[in-house]
Amino acid sequence: MTARRPWWKTALGVVFTALMLFPVYWMVNVSFTKTADLRLSPPHLFPLDPTLDGYAEVVRQQLPNLGTSLLIGLGTVALTVVIAAPAAYAISLLNLRGGRTLNFVLLVAQMIPGVVMAMGFYAIYVRLGMLNSVWGLILADSTVAVPFGVLLFTAFMSGLPRELLQAARIDGANAWRTFTSVVMPLSRNSAITVALFAFLWAWSDFVFASTLARNSALKPVTLGIYSYIGNNTTQWNAIMATAVVASIPAAILLVVAQRYVAAGVTAGAVKD
Amino acid sequence: MTISAAPAVRPAPDPKPSAPRPRRAKGGGTGGSRWVAVAFAAPLLAYLLAFYAYPLIRSIDLSIHDYNVRAFVQGNAEFVGLKNYIDVISSPLFGQAAWNTVVFVFGSLIFQYVLGLALAVFFRGNFRLSGILRALFLVPWLLPLIVSGSAWAWMLNSDNGIVNSFLHAFGIGQINWLTSPDTSMLAVIIANIWLGIPFNLVILYSGLQNISGDLYEAAALDGAGPWRQFWSITFPLLRPVSAITLLLGLVYTLKVVDIIWIMTSGGPANSTTTLAIWSYREAFGTGQPDLSPAAAVGNILIVIALIFGFIYLRMQRRQEQS
Amino acid sequence: MPDTFKEEHMLSTTLRKPLAIAVTVVALGALAGCSSSGDAGSTDAAGGTYTWWDPYPQHEEGSDWAKRVQACGTDAGVTIERTAYDTTSLTNQALLAAQEGTSPDVILLDNPAVSTLADTGMLTTTEELGLDTSKVDSNLLAAGELDGKDYGVPVGANTLALYYNADILSAAGVDPASITSWAALTDALSKVTAAGKKGITFAGINTEEGSFQFLPWFWGAGADLSKLDSPEAVSALTLWTDWVNKGYAPQSVIGNSQNTSWEEFITGDFAFAENGTWQVNSAAEQPFKTGVIELPAVDSGVAPAPTGGEFITAPVQKDTARYDVTKEIVDCMTTPEGFVETANTFAYYIPPTSDGQDQLLEQHPDLDTWVSAVKAAKGRTSDNLGTNYPLISEQLWTAVQSSLSGASSPKDALAAAQKAAASATEGK
Repeated sequence: MTARRPWWKTALGVVFTALMLFPVYWMVNVSFTKTADLRLSPPHLFPLDPTLDGYAEVVRQQLPNLGTSLLIGLGTVALTVVIAAPAAYAISLLNLRGGRTLNFVLLVAQMIPGVVMAMGFYAIYVRLGMLNSVWGLILADSTVAVPFGVLLFTAFMSGLPRELLQAARIDGANAWRTFTSVVMPLSRNSAITVALFAFLWAWSDFVFASTLARNSALKPVTLGIYSYIGNNTTQWNAIMATAVVASIPAAILLVVAQRYVAAGVTAGAVKD
Repeated sequence: MTISAAPAVRPAPDPKPSAPRPRRAKGGGTGGSRWVAVAFAAPLLAYLLAFYAYPLIRSIDLSIHDYNVRAFVQGNAEFVGLKNYIDVISSPLFGQAAWNTVVFVFGSLIFQYVLGLALAVFFRGNFRLSGILRALFLVPWLLPLIVSGSAWAWMLNSDNGIVNSFLHAFGIGQINWLTSPDTSMLAVIIANIWLGIPFNLVILYSGLQNISGDLYEAAALDGAGPWRQFWSITFPLLRPVSAITLLLGLVYTLKVVDIIWIMTSGGPANSTTTLAIWSYREAFGTGQPDLSPAAAVGNILIVIALIFGFIYLRMQRRQEQS
Repeated sequence: MPDTFKEEHMLSTTLRKPLAIAVTVVALGALAGCSSSGDAGSTDAAGGTYTWWDPYPQHEEGSDWAKRVQACGTDAGVTIERTAYDTTSLTNQALLAAQEGTSPDVILLDNPAVSTLADTGMLTTTEELGLDTSKVDSNLLAAGELDGKDYGVPVGANTLALYYNADILSAAGVDPASITSWAALTDALSKVTAAGKKGITFAGINTEEGSFQFLPWFWGAGADLSKLDSPEAVSALTLWTDWVNKGYAPQSVIGNSQNTSWEEFITGDFAFAENGTWQVNSAAEQPFKTGVIELPAVDSGVAPAPTGGEFITAPVQKDTARYDVTKEIVDCMTTPEGFVETANTFAYYIPPTSDGQDQLLEQHPDLDTWVSAVKAAKGRTSDNLGTNYPLISEQLWTAVQSSLSGASSPKDALAAAQKAAASATEGK
């Protein structure tokens, strides 16, 4: 499809995005709202009497937590790709015996509720002494992303033309060399997609952080939010302000990654 | 179980592997590369055993014993076989929870998929800002569920929510979204659809990218309009990607707890209690954790997901044979 | 394929497998070794680290509470490692830890959870620890009693009362002092709504908070938790349902937590809010004048309200030598001055001893309504309900939701609740 009259598409796209992001806007709205104005009826679309208390709290307390969340997110991405990509390679291109079963097992793995996983991990981590560690959390968060990563990579890699791989083999490359020099560069888009999902899942995780890393010196931001949820009182503008501030770097990462994927997709693939 | 995208329309990727090294002593063949394959998959296998097998076994163990709180701590639970499962299935709440689950899952899936697909097709033609807008669609995923759940709960509040305000401006009376058993399920489905659109959008969009533009050009030359092109080209070629998207969507939606819990805690009057919520509430929502029935319900959920998984496998095999 | 190829292939496979295994082992080892400190329970004897769990995550490191906890530890000669959980997770984390044998040394538990955990055998009795509980008010201590033994000491109690917006009441011609029965309250609500304002807000959410807020009305009617479908109980639920149907209470009460309900009150549109001691400071900050009266019973008199607040408990440890220091820490937290400090930190827990209460009243004479309310209050797990309470409570809040949302009548809702509660608690 050639681009014909793209401006109306852009306009429509903006409208759709605005609709989709309206709850996010509401979050921003609340972050500037005084507690006394939270339940006003009728509600205000715009914080008429804004307060910066929420943001003051965030600056005061949450910035280190953001760093931790970033660390955990990136760590999860790295671990997920490191485990999922070679395994997918084995299943799709190296004819791993039982590869089909493995794929199915991965699907089943995703069916286990998160709470069940967290309770199981607690028992394992207590024995290994991995509670309250950033590495432990990275490992736990990756369990959400790895099965999905393997599925995605397998889907993509199994579609790679065999001639390329044969050519590499004839040129003397072994499996590892083929993997790093041929398969992975071609799988860049899937890698980016998997990385995206892994990062987003790890960034917003609460269950694992709460069960496994409560007393860690380095807390992710999802746990940090709970310092605003007291026994009987909750400071919503601080919570929402934390969410807003936490979303900004991640959103930037998203925009950058999307552009990269778009470039990768259109280059040499679809005539547009 | 490999997922094949459209075979005949593979776009030729850039044939630029790294420059071939001169012959070295290492080479890998197709034949005895079984161990190579296992080596590549070894981290995953170890990982699966440690982190999935163990919680699953624990969950099954919880469900076939009577783990009241005392037994949980002291470790001397009585073996009761399938009693927990029988209790759960014959409980008056089971029928309602099962029905709620069906409504919730299928209601969410259909709309998530349709809207995701529509948006993917919309974004397909790269227009100005499409990259950024597409990235912005993923922002809902960045938010911790307590934040997005609470935002929806506020927006749908009966008395001071913005949605009712908006509807009021059009003369529609107050709808008690979250506090009336009639509309509570609709409210949580809407929020869940919102949460699920990014996932569908991303996967379907990348599936669309694998369909060559030549096909569309040829069709356009033959006089087919956009609607026809969609049904004859896009939809059929997208089938394998759609299938996996729907299956994964099903598995994830079956597990959904947080969004419903934050918005309604399964109420009012159990109108939004799905099997997952029931399991969660038994384990963590009351003052007396009832872990064995919770595990039983959780395992039933896994079995339901498994059934759909088998259906998917059967579809896959049939497609590969054809 | 030429022989050279086979040779190359064999060489590669001999090296591939061990290399992959080595990498995996190293990776896992690195992950295990890289954990930072913070094991759940220290095996040090006296002079080491003692672990402390409490449900106050908003009081972080460096807050007054945290400093005080540390100070009690230092006085006993040890360092305290404190972890704060949100209340809902704390019970389950405690159970998980007990299962693994890694219980902390001290846990501050929400009072209805004490009997549940005590029943598992993971808590020590006050006798075992050698604590003196004679001065603690018995109605407050009863919440932590199971089978005649006490399993902890309350650090303070809070309870519910009726806040009112004095400006709205005076404009509508209502005298708050006259509200001593349900009829008077409903009458006040009709006057207030006729004057264009909103009536009352409370929390009817389907969690323990909902039961907590409903109990003063339930008990105020004379009903008993062992019989949920008594006529008195029905009259209490009918009261609430009528308020919602007549518009005296908003629809949102069905989903309100206590915090949300308070947020509604401080918009200034509501005449009454049923809420607790912890909002006293917030009430004083409002631009409108506020006051507080005790919740009325059905006829004349004060309705017994449920007690909130935590118990300080000591989980069972393998190394019983640790109990001596644990006792010192608990004693440090439970002196009269200690109770008053706790009261002020948590704005306001009422001290559970008369000495503590007197000292608090010296500092804050305006808290007298609350002290009186706490003296009339009742533990939810009292009346020997113990571990049955959570099961009954679940049915109670479900019935409240059913009735308020119109899914069934108060009578039917409570009948169903009693049936479910009876079958859940039979033989226990």
